[in-house]
Amino acid sequence: MNCQETLHTQSYLDGELDGAEAVAAERHLESCAQCQALAAGTADLSDALRTAARYRAPDTLRHRLAKELDRETRRAPLRRFWQGAASGVGASALAAGFALFVLLPPSAATLSQSIVDAHTAALTGGKTIMVASSNHHTVKPWLAAHAGISPPVVDFAEQGFTLTGGRTDAVAGNRAAVAVYAHGNHEVDLFSWPDRGAQLPAAGMSRGFRIAFWKMGDLNYAAVSDVDAASFQKFIALAKSQRE
Amino acid sequence: MDDRRRRFEAQALPHLDAAYNLARWLSRSPVDADDIVQDAMLRAFRAFDGFRGGDAKAWLLTIVRNCWLSAGKATRRRGHTSLEDENLMAPENDPEQTAIQAGAKRRLDAMIAALPEEFREVLILREMEDMSYREIAEITGAPIGTVMSRLARARALLRETARDCP
Repeated sequence: MNCQETLHTQSYLDGELDGAEAVAAERHLESCAQCQALAAGTADLSDALRTAARYRAPDTLRHRLAKELDRETRRAPLRRFWQGAASGVGASALAAGFALFVLLPPSAATLSQSIVDAHTAALTGGKTIMVASSNHHTVKPWLAAHAGISPPVVDFAEQGFTLTGGRTDAVAGNRAAVAVYAHGNHEVDLFSWPDRGAQLPAAGMSRGFRIAFWKMGDLNYAAVSDVDAASFQKFIALAKSQRE
Repeated sequence: MDDRRRRFEAQALPHLDAAYNLARWLSRSPVDADDIVQDAMLRAFRAFDGFRGGDAKAWLLTIVRNCWLSAGKATRRRGHTSLEDENLMAPENDPEQTAIQAGAKRRLDAMIAALPEEFREVLILREMEDMSYREIAEITGAPIGTVMSRLARARALLRETARDCP
């Protein structure tokens, strides 16, 4: 037996496929023993590599680098002043564009990371739900009591996303309420936490999970899941439209 | 501190660990990795005005890889002394766990180090640095199809090695 689809399966496992392609890969994976073995082996390997083998820049290098940058910064200001003066309006427009970036990282990156960390920790620890209920009249007050905020909680069972419960979690140092939804075999977590004016990261993929952010009322929201792109977009639209 | 320095520290410096990790795995030498990363960060800083947003991490890792290439084969094979390295990110603080993991870590380390360069770099970029296929293709200058097959090959080699010497 030699499956011709293994590269496709790998792309799916790496979160590189969207929509119909992802669905096709999922379907193939259900019936192909070779690809199932590949999936299991790849997951084990990823876990091992992620936890065991990443090097961190030594402090000596950090210090040396800071000194080198100081030297660079001292050497260049005059030249850059004239370049800046010459480019005039363009430069200030650029500066305005960059100002936005300065506010964003590293908090934006850590925010995405923090949410995917929380999501995967809950999934692997089997503790995705602290209060199990499909009734939003149960989940909402529980979240209000335990997370200290009261986001709207709506069941979207008719649209394919069944409310299964809630939990509290930590997002970049904030206490967050998490409404947990089931979509087939996949879980979708809807995080919410108080908006303190921080910039939110752009939507994207992180370690195979889709993640999206938005603000509504006085709360920040993040949805995270490994569902396919179309379902994820649908969920976000539903979550943004929720009113009680 | 001037504006460019501030922007650089906000956008590029958060990826210093990623830069070091890549340099460390490419060169397989802590000394070379230090030099490569310092060289790369200074080049990045000088070229920073030309960086127009986008993904600073992929941009920086491309520079790191170029610096490693231009450091030349002479220094590239200097050696591999990674085994007792305190710069590996420790996943646990529990001493018993740490002892068990230290052995596994060492084996894994040796297995990755033994991979051919072109397989090793795609594996590091994908598995440790979360780069997409497209980003890996840009960083390594290889077509996406090649990235995919190298990644598959790298993973298969690691799995085989793990199976042969458990």
